[in-house]
Amino acid sequence: MKPTSPVLTGIGSVTPYGPLAGLISTGPLEPSAITAWTTPGLRRAFLVEAFRPASIVPGLKTRRLDRLSAWALVASSLALRDAGIDLAKMDRSRIAVFFATGFGCVELTEAFFQSAATHGWAETDPIIFPETLSNAPASHVALFHDLHGPNVTISSQGFAAESALLQASSLLRHGQADLAIVLAGDTLTQAIYEWYEAAHLLSPPCFSKEQLPSAGGFIPSEGVVAMVLEPTGRQESRPYAALGAGRWAVGGDARTGVRQLLGDATPTFTICTGNGGPCASRHTTCSARDLVGEDATIYPSQPVATGIGDASALLHLLLALSRRPGAGDALLLATSVDGGFAALRLELF
Amino acid sequence: MVSPYGVGLSRLHAGMLAGQCCLEPVSELYPGFQGTVAAVGSLPLLHDGHHYSRSDRLAMVAARDAVGEIADSYPTFHESGIVMASTVAGLTEIDPEIAQGPAAWYRHGGLSRAASYSVSRVSASVGEHLGIQGPACAVSVACASGALAIALAANMLLDEAAPMVLAGGSDALCPFTLSGFNSLQALDRDPCRPFDQDRKGLNLGEGAAVLVLETLAHATQRGARVLAVLRGWAMTNDASHPTAPQKDGIELAACIHRAMEMAECSIDEIGYVNAHGTGTPLNDIAETHAYERAFHGRSQPIPVSSTKSYFGHCLGAAGALEAAITITSVRTGSLFPTLRLNNPIESSKIDWLHGEVRRQPLPVAMSVSAGFGGSNVALVFGSHSA
Repeated sequence: MKPTSPVLTGIGSVTPYGPLAGLISTGPLEPSAITAWTTPGLRRAFLVEAFRPASIVPGLKTRRLDRLSAWALVASSLALRDAGIDLAKMDRSRIAVFFATGFGCVELTEAFFQSAATHGWAETDPIIFPETLSNAPASHVALFHDLHGPNVTISSQGFAAESALLQASSLLRHGQADLAIVLAGDTLTQAIYEWYEAAHLLSPPCFSKEQLPSAGGFIPSEGVVAMVLEPTGRQESRPYAALGAGRWAVGGDARTGVRQLLGDATPTFTICTGNGGPCASRHTTCSARDLVGEDATIYPSQPVATGIGDASALLHLLLALSRRPGAGDALLLATSVDGGFAALRLELF
Repeated sequence: MVSPYGVGLSRLHAGMLAGQCCLEPVSELYPGFQGTVAAVGSLPLLHDGHHYSRSDRLAMVAARDAVGEIADSYPTFHESGIVMASTVAGLTEIDPEIAQGPAAWYRHGGLSRAASYSVSRVSASVGEHLGIQGPACAVSVACASGALAIALAANMLLDEAAPMVLAGGSDALCPFTLSGFNSLQALDRDPCRPFDQDRKGLNLGEGAAVLVLETLAHATQRGARVLAVLRGWAMTNDASHPTAPQKDGIELAACIHRAMEMAECSIDEIGYVNAHGTGTPLNDIAETHAYERAFHGRSQPIPVSSTKSYFGHCLGAAGALEAAITITSVRTGSLFPTLRLNNPIESSKIDWLHGEVRRQPLPVAMSVSAGFGGSNVALVFGSHSA
């Protein structure tokens, strides 16, 4: 990695594993039954259990926020804590926030639609409307931490989190920020879940505990993962990883793109963010083995709870780091059926 | 570009030169709504076989207009990147009934319409329409989205992520946003009056603008006509309130300073600012303070206007449309006045453009955007020879 490579120094997450700073120590999860709305039978997903944000981040007020914004605030706080960042000592005008999401603030968007359905468009709720905007979570992160740097909410079909990582790294490399908090996440709502179901995208274990997850489809999940990126040399503690070059494209030839990125290098580990397993976030098949060779070690080797839509890559990366594959070169890789791919070189410490 | 003037920058330019205002009273957008908007007339038919939202279709038409013949003739065009902005995206396709029973709504025809909901579909639609397979993403930072897309696209060029990047924004009129802004009492029922002391709020519009960005070296190599040079860009956040802008405009002023710093130009070199200028009481006064702060010490008052007075606030498309207008001003030396600006906010440091179109050489100009959530973006454009 070059001396200018951004390094990953802090991780915070609110996922089905709970709110956590740093790595995840617990093993694979089972999906749980959906009770937040009436379902026509058993319906399961990887869900975030309700918790009180102020119990994790003292003083945090989230009463008027949707879960996505609340989770973003908790995850970003935990990531900064994990990185040992004292914001009082930082130039907050040079701290950027990137938020990757597939669907944005769907909970309050649905609430706004509900308000229109009940009272008509002429009588909708002015408190809800601004919180339906996709950039609300990133704005709340800036507001809560008093961060005045670039504030970007990003979405990219299949590759939102990867895109956010690459764009944030770019900002750091070009000196447009001194530190970036990169977040990625989505919430699972009735409208989203039933859309997956209507589109026949769900895996059999969504409907029965007895079903094996090998029959295709995926199990939806929800949550937010936050990561702190800093330029090499600025961090005070040993980072988790350094971020190298990356590329992404939405179509074409993934093999050529990945080869161009890797050159002669062969990564020791490949962290596959769309492994085709039934619990993977995407219903596309990641042909990682085909792209990086038969001898490569690919994570995850087993299906994991990682389905946070387009924004799942940060959770995949967190889970891979949590399995402690050891030090070495790694490749964060996702592919799509259209030949699209996102690939990011990493050095794991 | 697609604007209420029609398809193409030349139509918009001709309309604005003629002082034509596209804002019109409407009442049929939803029961109970009475107000003023600027709508795009008929859109060209697209025979792609997919279901696209109106925001998608506006973006596709604008992108086709922007790239012209290079889509078919330039060998590596398909490797281009795309950064599109939107705030509405596929919300136009969703009915309120979805909230009362999603499964039933999907069964009755909503399934394919819901597929266009995500903001990422706007950039994906442009890619599908033009056969582009490079890196693509969509950004959504409220009303600063379009300008931010251009800034991120410029960073992608610095990173050599793609040989050229299509950047812009697209948003359609829809009951959701009209109702939302109406609930906030942010709309003026009559045509808006940005920077006027008697301003009452904004009008919504719709449209899309796409800019083709490439490095000067790449443009020269392929013999492209260079319309302008993006000399500097910057992004900041107010971090002061979820919806209201920072009253004293400190962070917007900082954003302007950073963009000028990157552009390596002084406050005296900026010849014109195309302002965000929504016409809301809070935005316009905050923006005024920002300009007074950012251009403090300038030898002459800074010329400022809001072109939202011609065709309203196009939300995620606004920053891109206004960037295109700023480029037009640089190219033609035409500085468009704010319409209906009869009683400007008092400021000795700002030269509020009103009345006739001003003609003057304009080597360097700035486009400024701001939005809910406190995002600010400033873009500095210069003539190719500047």
